[in-house]
Amino acid sequence: MYATTRAGWYSFLRRRTAVFFTFFFPAIIVVIFGALVQTQPTDGGLFTEPTGWYVAGYIGVVVLFTPLSRVSSEVSRHREGGQFEKLTTTPLQRWEWLLSQTVVNTAIIGLASLLLLALLLGATGADLALSAETLLVVPFVVLGVATFCAVGSILGSVVSSQDGVIAASNGLAIPLLFLSEAFVPADLLPEWLPLGLSPLTYFTRGVRAVTFDSASATSSVLGVSAPAPYADLGVLAALTVVLFVLASVALPRAD
Amino acid sequence: MAVLAAEDVSKSYGETVALDGVSLSVDEGEVFALVGPNGAGKTTLVRALTGTIDAEGHVELFGGDPGDVNRERIGLLPQEFDPPARLTPRELLAYYGGLYDDHRPVAELLDEVGVADAAETHYENLSGGQKRRTCVAAALVNDPDLLVIDEPTTGIDPAGRRQLWDLLGELAASGTTILLTTHYMAEAEHLADRVGLLADGAVVAVDTPGALVATHGGESLLIVEGVTDREAVDRLDRDAQLVDGRLTVRNVDPVDVGGIVEALESAGVGYDSLTWREPDLEDVYLSLAGGAEGTDADGVGSREPRGPVAPGGERP
Repeated sequence: MYATTRAGWYSFLRRRTAVFFTFFFPAIIVVIFGALVQTQPTDGGLFTEPTGWYVAGYIGVVVLFTPLSRVSSEVSRHREGGQFEKLTTTPLQRWEWLLSQTVVNTAIIGLASLLLLALLLGATGADLALSAETLLVVPFVVLGVATFCAVGSILGSVVSSQDGVIAASNGLAIPLLFLSEAFVPADLLPEWLPLGLSPLTYFTRGVRAVTFDSASATSSVLGVSAPAPYADLGVLAALTVVLFVLASVALPRAD
Repeated sequence: MAVLAAEDVSKSYGETVALDGVSLSVDEGEVFALVGPNGAGKTTLVRALTGTIDAEGHVELFGGDPGDVNRERIGLLPQEFDPPARLTPRELLAYYGGLYDDHRPVAELLDEVGVADAAETHYENLSGGQKRRTCVAAALVNDPDLLVIDEPTTGIDPAGRRQLWDLLGELAASGTTILLTTHYMAEAEHLADRVGLLADGAVVAVDTPGALVATHGGESLLIVEGVTDREAVDRLDRDAQLVDGRLTVRNVDPVDVGGIVEALESAGVGYDSLTWREPDLEDVYLSLAGGAEGTDADGVGSREPRGPVAPGGERP
């Protein structure tokens, strides 16, 4: 697995446009959304929360979009290049391949998240509530990346072309972004929306609980109120395991 | 002992039948070549045999189910294989080698396949031949007991092809079992102990190249171009046919060529060129697989005569 992780990392670093836009992405998010948030409208509606409330959303954008698009495209490239056919006849297991992709993406998104946080603190003066629990951002990011690597892998396995994969990836990510309490509080959304079905919901709730909300914040899991962020972390971990297994099984052996 | 065996293997994609009851076996240390037109089912058969697709029928690899086999023992080069483009051949071989418990030295392999000079060039910037040779090296990196290579020399220039033939020949001599598919009949004839001809998803013939040629190759031919004197041809007293200035004489032993040339010259028959050739695997292919690939760029269907050229003739 070390060999495929190293190959994946080198491949990423040598695609200069991919590297540039991977790190440009969080910067542009901060510029656009940060500017919007700082307008601070007073008569209700979107973007009326304090700046710190949106930090979880900003990181959520990177955790959602980057692995989803990168892994779905990588699976598609592997399919079109006959790489899975080759790998199937090596000792590498499918779950190991997916794990190596997850490791590479975790490193990339970890760096992008740090950049994002630095920009937020420096450029927008976001008011973060830092405590020992803030370190839970790390497992949230790892699990979030693993979750969306798995979802991206499933997309790449199911959709047959690279063009189709990009469209499917965008078609999934954009609705999820707005239906997962990333930028729109739940009380502004219709009650019937199944926010609990989105893994990103648990990510944003959990990260918000350790970066902005007070320690007494609670989270609703399956209708039961539980202390955040641990309940969210638990649900996210469970979703990660289920999706990772499904994605490993779905990876093709040949095309 | 059969390293690889297929019995009544069938595979369909919707209405399309890719394999229709294929049975064959490849013995330990044997080089087996699968030949056949595009769409004959060669790649599907390779995938069924290596367990990368599921097919009906029975397949055994090293005496067991392909899914249970020790993957350290297999080396595969898929037909359409495009490894990570931004890695160099050295990194690619380190990558694929790193998937195994043990692998051959990368530098040695790069040298063997002739890409040592381009070892630090990104794969995407290699020539077509260098790419294919790098891919062949990736199939050899674990020093496999069974090497399965789907069209290994496609896109490689003649010198590079010869180099790979030598390499595959050395592997075969050292006991590696090789299953290869190819469009080049000369490749199959040069490398294979046995050849299986696949057409429309079925095996239509399996035997040694020599036996296939003897059974299905037809007659030796003497082809004389630029002949216009029909009456003189009739005096040859041979099984001959003159069409559009091309005289074709059938069943000519090499020792008879001189006599025919003398007969033509003593009868005052002029000609532009003269070519003798004996049947080979390409004739077998054309005879059994039909003209499905009549204009194939690889020369599958465009038969050029070969063999010695008599005085006064020019090489085709």
